[in-house]
Amino acid sequence: MSAKGDINVQIAAFTAQLQRREISGSRAVALATAHLISRFVSSRRWPTADDLINQVKRLGRELEKAQPHELACGNIIRRILKSIRTVDETVELVEAVDDRERRSSMFGILSVPGSGDKSTDHMRSRDLKAAVIEDIQVLIEEIGNEEPLQRVGTEMINDNEVILTPCPRSVTLLDFFLKVAQKRSFTVLVTECYPNGVEDAKMFAERLTKAGIRTEILPDATVNAVMSKVSKVIISPRTVLANGGVIASSGMALPCLAAKNFNKPVLVFAGSYKLSLLYPFDVERLIEVGNSGKVIDFADADLMDKLEVTNPLCDYLGPELLDIIITTDGGHPPNFMYRIVLDNYSTQDQIL
Amino acid sequence: MDDDMPFDIKQTYLKFLEEDPQLTMPVAAIQSLVALLADAQPKTSAELIEVLQEASQTLKDSVPNSISLSAGSDLFLRFVVRNIHDYSDWEACKRNLVENGRTFAERAKESRSLIARLGLPFVRDNDIILVHGRSRAVHQLLELAASKHVRFQVYVTEARVCAEGQIAAAAFRKLGIPTCMIPDSSVGYVIPKVHKVFLGAEGVAESGGVINQIGSSQVVMLAHQFKKPVFVLAESHKFVRLFPLSSDDLTTETPYTFTTTETEEFDPANGPQIDFTPHKYITALITDLGVLTPSGVSEELIKIWFG
Repeated sequence: MSAKGDINVQIAAFTAQLQRREISGSRAVALATAHLISRFVSSRRWPTADDLINQVKRLGRELEKAQPHELACGNIIRRILKSIRTVDETVELVEAVDDRERRSSMFGILSVPGSGDKSTDHMRSRDLKAAVIEDIQVLIEEIGNEEPLQRVGTEMINDNEVILTPCPRSVTLLDFFLKVAQKRSFTVLVTECYPNGVEDAKMFAERLTKAGIRTEILPDATVNAVMSKVSKVIISPRTVLANGGVIASSGMALPCLAAKNFNKPVLVFAGSYKLSLLYPFDVERLIEVGNSGKVIDFADADLMDKLEVTNPLCDYLGPELLDIIITTDGGHPPNFMYRIVLDNYSTQDQIL
Repeated sequence: MDDDMPFDIKQTYLKFLEEDPQLTMPVAAIQSLVALLADAQPKTSAELIEVLQEASQTLKDSVPNSISLSAGSDLFLRFVVRNIHDYSDWEACKRNLVENGRTFAERAKESRSLIARLGLPFVRDNDIILVHGRSRAVHQLLELAASKHVRFQVYVTEARVCAEGQIAAAAFRKLGIPTCMIPDSSVGYVIPKVHKVFLGAEGVAESGGVINQIGSSQVVMLAHQFKKPVFVLAESHKFVRLFPLSSDDLTTETPYTFTTTETEEFDPANGPQIDFTPHKYITALITDLGVLTPSGVSEELIKIWFG
């Protein structure tokens, strides 16, 4: 009984952290979500896989409501839901194969209906629990391990290259540059990302210089001017969408458009937890708007009174602006992302 | 069926199409082949395949525009060939196929309503949608959207030659959707105001390009020029193993000809009825297998032909 109370406290604490943004950054949120659900699965009682799925979904709804713009949380929950479904299905494989082929192949309309009565002989919940928790552990390891991503990326960096990374704040990208610097020498141009990411960009540049990488900070407006000497643009977005487009910090769209104009490749680095099954039906809804006091100081009351100031925190970049998306399972062209989405998530979980 | 008459695959096919206006050509082709199976009673599997191949060839030759139809008959043949090897008890499988002949049509309709469900989030409030020609899948999607009280407006092109735009527009108005009918020549005029383009398909080629009522390709190219997304709604049984590079690669019985003498009165119907839209102009295909990018089509085809 105490374990159950304990998990509720943990959920409440995590929800509060999300709401107050005490925990931010996709990787941190993804890891925290996975750990929380792992504890949730082991402490709750659920007779069948369906019950578990419903309970996890309910938890997912709560977490999504706490921070609707942090998609990593929902991504992890959907990954786990999919793994619960897969684990559960392996038992009913014989019965399910017919039904699954029917829905997932062009033979759909032809296949003959199966024997009908579906077996209710589910895997015993104890075995299911062990298997699901093991899957979550694998997922946690995958989130923490960016070695495959770095390996693929390293091959794409040559000696003496000039790389532009607009508005960097991603740990993935920082780790990647530090790793590559052991093998190659290159220059990194960092845009300052006014007004939302100035501190982050400075910190990023500082970390790179400390590691002995030649680094320059540029004002955002100069990207078009320097693009001719840049050899590639590397970005790490917040979220990769199902159509291969991405949501990234505001200030990233401009360098990518300039890169397109100069025919320079744009590389996207994203851990698989950033992969979302959302399709950008309504781009405006995906874009978060932040503190307009960062654009014009609230102390400047005269101006603030007369102007309407908005400060969007993200940009949407369509798949046509990007050349390759490098995730933990390798590099993919943007128009292939829909397939990885179909592999990673179950369409039934689109809405939690 | 009349017992004295020998089985006529073409007549059967046409009869299926006539009986059910909701039936698509590929499904009608599949149903006629199933009807043939019931009638022909082949003794061996080799004979069975031969009979089916012959009949599907006859059917393709006897219908002027056979691309859509061949998607169905090829799919069925492939299904039969694969299952002869997979199942030890082919007889049971055949019996099942014959008995379930009717359900194929039902499932095809099901896949259309699945497409409508998957496509629903693509239709949003205040959208202005351009529709070219008449398509059952597009109709069903817009019907669903209207029933969910999404407020949108539709431009319908006249889609000359087939001239089915009028029917489509009337159907949309009946659903309470504000509809504006435009001649095909005005697409360039309205396209800057349009938010997205919806198309049906007669067939979807291996590249993800679309074979559809004539005029589709020019509409889509204009949309591309103005950076408007183009969504194609097609059931997966319309995927066909063709790789046309241009509309020229589609066979037509009535090609355009040059003359120096005034021969007969100009008749627009006297020309090709379908054209080909290359995949690079298409944003996404909304199919019963999910929302795919054009490259996803070849993947699905590979799965059933080489998987």
